[in-house]
Amino acid sequence: MLRLIVQRLMALVPLLFIVSVLTFSFTSLLPSDPVDLILGDTGTQEQHEMLRERMGLNEPIVVRYVQWLGRAVQGDLGTSFFNSVSVTTALMQRLPVTLSLTLVSALIAIVVGVAAGIAAALRPRSWVDRLATVGATIGQAIPNFWFGLLLVAIFAVNLRWFPATGFTPLSASPVDWMRSVALPAIALGLSSSAAIARQVRSAMVGVLQQDYIRAARAQGLSSRRVILRHALTNAMVPVVAVLSFQITVLLGGALIVEQVFAINGLGTLAIGAVRQQDIPMIQGLVLVMVGLVVVVQLATDVVYGLLNPKARPS
Amino acid sequence: MKTVPSDGAAAAPTRSRRRAGGSAVIVSIAGAILSLLVFLAVFADLVSPYDPLRQNLIASLQWPSAAHWLGTDDLGRDVLSRLIHGCRIAVIAAGEATSIALLIGVPIGLFIGYRGGWWDWIVMRIVEAVVSIPGIMVAIVILALLGTGLHKAMIALGILFSTSFLRLARGVVLAEREEVYVRSARVVGASDGRILLRHILPNIAPPLIVQTTLTVGAVLLAEAGLSFIGLGVQPPDASWGTMLSTAAAFMDLHWFLAIPPGVAIILTVLSINLIGDVIRDGVGRGIAVAARPDAGAPRHAAPAVVEPSAAPPPRHRPDEVLRVEGLRVTVATADGGELPLISDLSLSISKGETLGLVGESGSGKTLTGLAILGLTSVALRTTHGSIVLNGRDLRGLSQRQIEEVRGNEVAMVFQDPTTSLNPAFTVGSQIAEVLRAKHGLSKPAAWARTVELIDRVGIPRPAERARAFPHELSGGMAQRIAIARALSCNPSLLVADEPTTALDVTVQQEILDLFRDLQAEFGMAILFVTHDLAVAADICDRISVMYAGEMVEMAEVGALFARPRHPYTRGLLSAMPHASDRMPPLPTIRGNVPRPGTWPAGCRFSNRCDFRIAACERRIPLAGADRQVRCIRADELILEAAQ
Repeated sequence: MLRLIVQRLMALVPLLFIVSVLTFSFTSLLPSDPVDLILGDTGTQEQHEMLRERMGLNEPIVVRYVQWLGRAVQGDLGTSFFNSVSVTTALMQRLPVTLSLTLVSALIAIVVGVAAGIAAALRPRSWVDRLATVGATIGQAIPNFWFGLLLVAIFAVNLRWFPATGFTPLSASPVDWMRSVALPAIALGLSSSAAIARQVRSAMVGVLQQDYIRAARAQGLSSRRVILRHALTNAMVPVVAVLSFQITVLLGGALIVEQVFAINGLGTLAIGAVRQQDIPMIQGLVLVMVGLVVVVQLATDVVYGLLNPKARPS
Repeated sequence: MKTVPSDGAAAAPTRSRRRAGGSAVIVSIAGAILSLLVFLAVFADLVSPYDPLRQNLIASLQWPSAAHWLGTDDLGRDVLSRLIHGCRIAVIAAGEATSIALLIGVPIGLFIGYRGGWWDWIVMRIVEAVVSIPGIMVAIVILALLGTGLHKAMIALGILFSTSFLRLARGVVLAEREEVYVRSARVVGASDGRILLRHILPNIAPPLIVQTTLTVGAVLLAEAGLSFIGLGVQPPDASWGTMLSTAAAFMDLHWFLAIPPGVAIILTVLSINLIGDVIRDGVGRGIAVAARPDAGAPRHAAPAVVEPSAAPPPRHRPDEVLRVEGLRVTVATADGGELPLISDLSLSISKGETLGLVGESGSGKTLTGLAILGLTSVALRTTHGSIVLNGRDLRGLSQRQIEEVRGNEVAMVFQDPTTSLNPAFTVGSQIAEVLRAKHGLSKPAAWARTVELIDRVGIPRPAERARAFPHELSGGMAQRIAIARALSCNPSLLVADEPTTALDVTVQQEILDLFRDLQAEFGMAILFVTHDLAVAADICDRISVMYAGEMVEMAEVGALFARPRHPYTRGLLSAMPHASDRMPPLPTIRGNVPRPGTWPAGCRFSNRCDFRIAACERRIPLAGADRQVRCIRADELILEAAQ
């Protein structure tokens, strides 16, 4: 298993390199001069020059890239153009918020999706089956932030079961954390759950026709064991293969859904950074996103390897 | 926001088939919605009752009324008018971003696909990097460089979605590049540009159209999202996304504001996706679905013809382990009827005995084995007969009880060992699991017993092999494991379904020897299903010959081979290759086993039989006791296997 992880990590090196180059080159792609952005129209020519020198903008681009990468690897992503806050600090404050949202919604999507997928596979054309099909079709067309608005209207404004806005950190109060995360996570996760249900269903229907399922039944193993252990383990293989894509979609969706619930996560940070052309912040955000995606891919690769022995390097 | 994976076009055929009935209606509705959308976009100024920007603070946040069909927003602007002008934004947005995506993605994809090499490598790595980040983040980064606004947002989305067109175009070129006509065009000396234009472009048009519909839907959702978070269309201009943004601020005061733009987005995207599905089914894929392999199966044969004739039950034998009487298995047909697959089947097997079940493919041998274990698929039903195992009729048992019987009293070995073992688990764990579940052994005890069993079926280094996965074993080895698993709970009956067919000839013999050894040691009865008479002659004590779902002859091995009594048995024996004389061509039985539902009403073999007479038109009962035959002329015909 260790070998699999190392192998996957090695495969990520070119990706990380390209992302870092692309990310770094934003500064050069920017139509306006970063120094002008920071100082605006104020400041003398000398002040501009000094800042330019201090930011290392007079160095050749390759040198700047290496310096920037060296600092980034050590966790120093620079300071915001806008308010001189350390980018790393700002990101680390917001990361747990967006991560809670993404992970809880992924959990909802997987649990609901797998359960519904199994039910649909066992009873084709039943109501669960139809619901998963219709749900996946409609889920593809519903903006998740709009679904979030509906949930707010029903469960927060009318029924008052959940807070309409805000976020409570897990460390402050697990119960309040759950309550603050519940609605946005459902808004995000439910349409993915329908997509996952459809994948589980079609994989499960295929697996249930396999010889080894019949052989397991012939051996007198209980239906429950045959379905949940023998069939599901194999049916999850193709599902896990596309799960990292689903989680990436959820991560992107979280950035928008945060706005519905006035949650101060990475999304809010990103929107502010775009408006202010705060390049270091954007660079930091991209790196964090890529980092998350890489971790998710690694995790799904490992699960994939656990489920599918043929995928393991021998 | 969802990026559209270019390979995500894999629609389940079941979905398109199921939708086929209602699809015409749905497509017309979707088409009508999209036409309305375009109409409203073009004539927004004429159609909308108010100026979408005109404020009226006295009449803000109103519910729908005759004056304002969809009410008013926080500034008293007419929601319907804003919705109609939003259509225009939606159409512009979708058109702009999709065109940009096409214009960037397709040429680059064509180019790198055609050129290959470093260009291809570098561009594809960049695409992979872009695709690995959430789409919305990519758009945000581009907007950070460009600034906000509708057209800039659409450029961002165009760049984002160009990756799927790029991958699609590249994939098609890679596939088409080596096609004969492209290569011959190159030989003739056509320029690269001309080849791309004339030969490759027409081939990528169909998938491009499909991808375009997918992209339009995704763009609409993305535009709404970007406008919602304030990076797309800027207030006060009306787009569905900005309207939702306004609605979000007033959820507690006037939730209705969220409904019209939301419904507009959903209906539009849904319509585009549904039409995209239909186009996709029309482009190539639908053809494969249309011709179903079983479409030609005749349904006219009335099931009622095959009444279970009262055959005399087989004589009771000493030490009987299994006794099947009058078994009938049917399949539900499309028109609600039931078609018999097996009828009036009786057999019995004693302790330590091996009964062969032979016949051509489609005669119902394997199904008989599965029916004994109650393992037929859902569409099949055992309607008549009894299956008495160790003195208990299995047909009367509950699900739980039959699960208890399986493994403990009867087990099965299947034809293909590599597919009958679960690929996800080690072979040892699959045996140990049975021991733990059925015998309640502890984990270490089950493992120790597993290694013993693997050793017993003749696998060297059993402790090591127990940790192997099925794909790491040879076919013969895997079959030994499957046999070890089947025997793990010491069943009194083993059903072996063509257990040597998938194996090499040399391995076949080893497996047959193994069966013999194990039978001598464990004393179980074996029902040995095979189409191979040589194998049956080798291992069986008695043989039952099946034809078209019923038994036509049953005899001791020696007697059957020396003097077959049914013309079908004789045909089978004649078709058996003999090592001694290879010269004369093997005689074959003309025709094929008729499919269920097309069985002749009388003797089912009559249409292939050389000895047919008028009396064969009637149902023929199975006659005899120790030696049984289902042929009206059995006594007068003197049949010999043609040597």
